[in-house]
Amino acid sequence: MNEIEKRLMEEKKKMEQITAPDELEGRLWQALDAAPIKKKLKPKWPLAVAAFLLVCLIGYNYNGLAYYGKKIIGFDELMSGTLTELNDKGMGQTVGEKVLLEDGSELTVDGIMTDANQLILYYTLSNVKDMEGITFGKITGFLTDSDQGAGTWTFNEKQSEIKGQLFFDPVSPFAKKLTLEATKLAEDGQSITCIMSFPYDPNQAMQTELQQKLMKKVKVDKGTITFKTITATPTVTIIKGTVDVQNLDRVQLPFKQVQLQVNGKPIEQIGSGISTSIGGTKFELSFEALPQKVDSLELVVKEFVGYTNVDETIPLHPIRDQAFQLEGKDLWVKKVEKTEDGVQITIASDEDVLLDGVTIEGKGGAVPLKTTIRQDYNELDDGRMVKERTLLFSTDVLPDTLSVKGMHHMKRVDEVIEILGK
Amino acid sequence: MKVVQLVRKAKKGNKRALLQLIMAQQDDYYRLALSYMGNPHDAMDAMEEMIVSLYANMGQLKKEEAFYSWSKTILVNRCKQMLKKQQKVVLIDEWETAPSEVHNPYQQWEQQMDIQGMLATVNEYQKEAIELKYFHDLDYETIAGITNVSIGTVKSRIFQGLKKIRDQYRGETHE
Repeated sequence: MNEIEKRLMEEKKKMEQITAPDELEGRLWQALDAAPIKKKLKPKWPLAVAAFLLVCLIGYNYNGLAYYGKKIIGFDELMSGTLTELNDKGMGQTVGEKVLLEDGSELTVDGIMTDANQLILYYTLSNVKDMEGITFGKITGFLTDSDQGAGTWTFNEKQSEIKGQLFFDPVSPFAKKLTLEATKLAEDGQSITCIMSFPYDPNQAMQTELQQKLMKKVKVDKGTITFKTITATPTVTIIKGTVDVQNLDRVQLPFKQVQLQVNGKPIEQIGSGISTSIGGTKFELSFEALPQKVDSLELVVKEFVGYTNVDETIPLHPIRDQAFQLEGKDLWVKKVEKTEDGVQITIASDEDVLLDGVTIEGKGGAVPLKTTIRQDYNELDDGRMVKERTLLFSTDVLPDTLSVKGMHHMKRVDEVIEILGK
Repeated sequence: MKVVQLVRKAKKGNKRALLQLIMAQQDDYYRLALSYMGNPHDAMDAMEEMIVSLYANMGQLKKEEAFYSWSKTILVNRCKQMLKKQQKVVLIDEWETAPSEVHNPYQQWEQQMDIQGMLATVNEYQKEAIELKYFHDLDYETIAGITNVSIGTVKSRIFQGLKKIRDQYRGETHE
């Protein structure tokens, strides 16, 4: 160590006698305490995990994400399971077209979902002041003239906004622009009509999954049903055909027991419609969309409306709680009374039973049924639905017996049409 | 050593941990600040500024072990900034009276006479490097960081400075 370094070391020793003043800690803490609290740096591994999951999700749902922008938002309440799923996959087309109506409310077409079976339209009517709903007419466009079918809508809590879902007939794949007509009642009772157009991209319509000619006839009691086509799209499965059955209109839902069975299990029937014209009676049954995996597909006609001869005479004195048996069907006589209009007999039966050739007999002779009044559906304790109605006869003599010639009811058919074999 | 643990805590925003780290070497910090600022009052001000700055920038410290050299670099930077500011204030307020007495941190060193005389013979960069090395025990790397030059330059400054002093000294004492 040379002289200079020695000197420097000495100097350092001297310096080391200098110590920090006692108040230093307090001052430093004051300064530090006043410093704004720093955001905690979060550990990085959750980020890494999140990134990893994101990559997995993107990789797995790439197709879905490609459509992400097309998801129609805000209609969860209205959408059924299938439609929610499809919307989640981005199968809809967002529209976002708005029209301001004269009464200050605003109609927005939020989005549509289309396929070969139907067009589903989602709309919002905001700034509603008068609780008046809106009705929709047709959707028109190139080669397109679609009537509206069903529809559902809800008010928000403040009752200032309506969100709705409308089902229309399918639109043409050549249409590029669709026009919707809507009519809204205003406060003063006047109706405001609005016509709005929005672009449509037929390429985004969902692909039909199955379209097949069936051309199968099924003999039922009083005629035949001809199943012509089945069209399965991602939103709905529709079966069309014609029906030539004499007593078709004698029960409420003659097609209720026509099932579409996928892999041996029936899928839900959403609706059925019958229309009669010169060409005959056409029907259309709609079922839920088919599942992803279809091994077998069958149409099963379990029951259909039929007729059974009964020729029974039921004593009306005394009134019994027990049911009479009409060819295996229960019939209850609940009440017999004389009124101004005539004799009224209240009966109950299974909901599909419609009596035919009903007369009463007694001292006043045989009196045929004039009409049926008051019809109600009741649920029995065991969950069975019964139809209760009052039969009116033009007589003022209380009868002794009730005669029934026959009845229209759902008859077992059990015919199976195989659409896709096992 | 607990330093790394404390630094990690401080990095997460723990003020106590940061203070603990500084207090563990409070005298070193104080002397370093004092040597630049020249008076205890300004030295403590500089340290206050340093600790606030450290707290805000903890995230930038990559190597926990380097906390002390990093924080001392920041302290010296703070000191230099404060001196610059004071210089400006002096220039405006005392333009006529004290322009020549512009604050020089090395002139206000009170403790020693002859060593100051020795150091007066070298230029201010050499002097700073020598002081940091011999008085504050800092390594070449830290000094390089503080003075914002390469390690080679630091070594050369110290060597050249000492050589100059030695020449001068030898000349006087006929060693």
